[in-house]
Amino acid sequence: MAIKKKNSKHSPNGSRRHNGASPATTIDLRTYSIPDLRLEHPDLSVRQSTEKDGHVRYEVTGNLDAPVPPIRDSKYLSKQQCIEIYRYMLLNRKMEVALENLYKQGKVVGGVYFGLGQEACSCASAYALDKDDWFAPMIRNQGSLLVRGFAARDTMMQYMAKADSPTRGRDGTSHFGDIEKRNMVSPISMLGDLIPVLSGVALGARLQGRNVAVMTYIGDGGQSTGVTYEGINFAAVQNLGLVLFIESNLWAYSTPSEMQYRCKDLAERAIGYGIPGVIVDGTDACQVYDAAREAVERAHAGEGPTLIEAKMMRMKGHAIHDAASYVPKPMFDFWKKRDPIARFDNYLVKEKKWLSSKENAELISEVERIIEAEREIAINSPMPEPESAEGGVYCEDGCHDIKPKYGTPKVKKGTGGYKETEAAVHLK
Amino acid sequence: MQLTYLEAIRQGIWEEMDRDPSVFCLGEDIGIYGGAFKVTDGFIDRFGPERVIDTPIAESAIVGAAFGASLTGMRPVAEFQFMDFIGCAFNQISNMVAKTHYLWGAPAPLVLRGPSGGYVHGGPFHSQNPEMWFVHNPGLKVICPATPYDAKGLIKAAIRDNNPCIFFEHKYLYRRIKGEVPADDYVVPIGKANIVREGRDLSIVTYAAMVHTALEAAEILAKENIDLEILDLRTVSPLDREAIAATVKKTNKVIILHEHSRTGGLAGEIAAIINEEVFDDLDGPIVRITGLDSAVPFSPPQEHHYLPKVEDVVRESRRLKAY
Repeated sequence: MAIKKKNSKHSPNGSRRHNGASPATTIDLRTYSIPDLRLEHPDLSVRQSTEKDGHVRYEVTGNLDAPVPPIRDSKYLSKQQCIEIYRYMLLNRKMEVALENLYKQGKVVGGVYFGLGQEACSCASAYALDKDDWFAPMIRNQGSLLVRGFAARDTMMQYMAKADSPTRGRDGTSHFGDIEKRNMVSPISMLGDLIPVLSGVALGARLQGRNVAVMTYIGDGGQSTGVTYEGINFAAVQNLGLVLFIESNLWAYSTPSEMQYRCKDLAERAIGYGIPGVIVDGTDACQVYDAAREAVERAHAGEGPTLIEAKMMRMKGHAIHDAASYVPKPMFDFWKKRDPIARFDNYLVKEKKWLSSKENAELISEVERIIEAEREIAINSPMPEPESAEGGVYCEDGCHDIKPKYGTPKVKKGTGGYKETEAAVHLK
Repeated sequence: MQLTYLEAIRQGIWEEMDRDPSVFCLGEDIGIYGGAFKVTDGFIDRFGPERVIDTPIAESAIVGAAFGASLTGMRPVAEFQFMDFIGCAFNQISNMVAKTHYLWGAPAPLVLRGPSGGYVHGGPFHSQNPEMWFVHNPGLKVICPATPYDAKGLIKAAIRDNNPCIFFEHKYLYRRIKGEVPADDYVVPIGKANIVREGRDLSIVTYAAMVHTALEAAEILAKENIDLEILDLRTVSPLDREAIAATVKKTNKVIILHEHSRTGGLAGEIAAIINEEVFDDLDGPIVRITGLDSAVPFSPPQEHHYLPKVEDVVRESRRLKAY
């Protein structure tokens, strides 16, 4: 992947090279590489333009008719694994269609957030994690939850604020977690804050003798926050197994990425952090998986964090209330042709012939049946009792038995017994 | 043994690291340097760099990492070089850490600790008492000890507690006071106030460095036959409502004394508790003595003017006694 081991001694980003024209004037030049697994490089760009009617709108330029590239064959995934990821992507999408319908029926409290167009990124990334690894989704990674073993009803009940939801009504959307079985940290609405937290999870596990991979996500908008920098840098300095997906989905609510950052690709920021960075096509499940898996293995080997930029487009508004009318229509048309599920469907059925049309149709209807059953369960959950708003602010005695998850930390017996400290010079 | 306030805290953390391998420290300059005030001096030699971690200057990362580690069952103790800088990590503390148990049931057994408070001419960014930012955040425990005995017992209790605890050490007290600290293992319960001086005429409800201000005032007033009772809150969240009510019930007159600025300060909350619990027992107005509603100024005469003083307590006590 990003880094060849032989180079890592000098810089995790690449190699140092001698400019050897003359020994007397040898200058160390650093060269860095950001591997790009994509099979196409869209050249679209968005800018604000004042039109004749005086309105300011976003305008897109670039080759909007470029042909859709093929799926890149995975270096690691078997036929069965590809089909399994595809199935999760279908579950992801059908669950969100069900959520949209529940919203239209007035059963959702608040809004609905979608990962339309980002299912490959959510599902194939989480699929690369091992059982003991940790993750934390952002709002568009509802598919990651399904891959990690949560049921669709969990997310559905969260949206409907039901008593049986994982937070028992106290929070909505994908804002829940599980530190016992599924190793998920609950997201908060503020962007970037999960990054140092996941790094801390890796730190805690390492103190207990385990290198776990900790995966989380941030958008091209969210990565603008200061805590994103703090979190990645902390993981880099401490060499923690953070696997950070930057989901470059082109729109941060209504703001295009051109107004969010100036560098060409956000993966380039890895150079500044001193960690490997890689670019993948976020609509190609195989590319997403391969990059994620290599990053996870680096984490398990104690080789530190990896930054993966996945490029795609958010194919709906910020949330259900937002029609995304600010997005130039040709951009939707361009990315619609790169729908991750349609592409993977085509790859599995037509190109690889790993699924017959009949098997594919059966798979789709099986997923629909599952989602329908999940929807029924979710709908039938009662609303919470008003009084259940109370309690649980503190972890009271006996409510949790806290102990190191991966075993007793190894304690190094250092030198020096306890003796009183002396005051700093200026305090004497 | 007689220990300084600072040494008591240092000894408390040391002992907890000794007894529990899941305790570790992280913060800026806490390793080889031993911390800006030397609270972790010698720790890195004794416990190793794995458990005494020097971090980048990144407060949100420090809190986030501490929280993440706590989710794996560790008990991190994170140092802020000055508590003024805790604002840099406010979102992590308020929205991530404090809400965790209530929202999704995960305990966060971590301690955020560091020096706070004025009287050392530290200027506006090294003298603050930002405890109220966190008192207004359900889910946190906020601890402000006044004596070496309490400092050690409370830091040990905070490390053992299953909730996020913010531990405000008063830097004026660090090396200015000494007190008896027993050699054996003990904790001071979080959330319990303590009567540090019994009296009959009026009550001073206070905490941290102001306890010593109140004690000095009490000595002066004793000569005038004004007998102060002093309640040291020790923990400002959760507040010991019973202890507050009991002292007011006893003396019927109360002054609330704190170092931080007046508006939205703890005195307002305590006055409301008194109103709710023991209104009928009051024989005079609830009096507040606090810092001014401004930043803490730098120049010594200005800082002196800003901060509560012994003479303020003496003057207000005389006035209230005569009421």
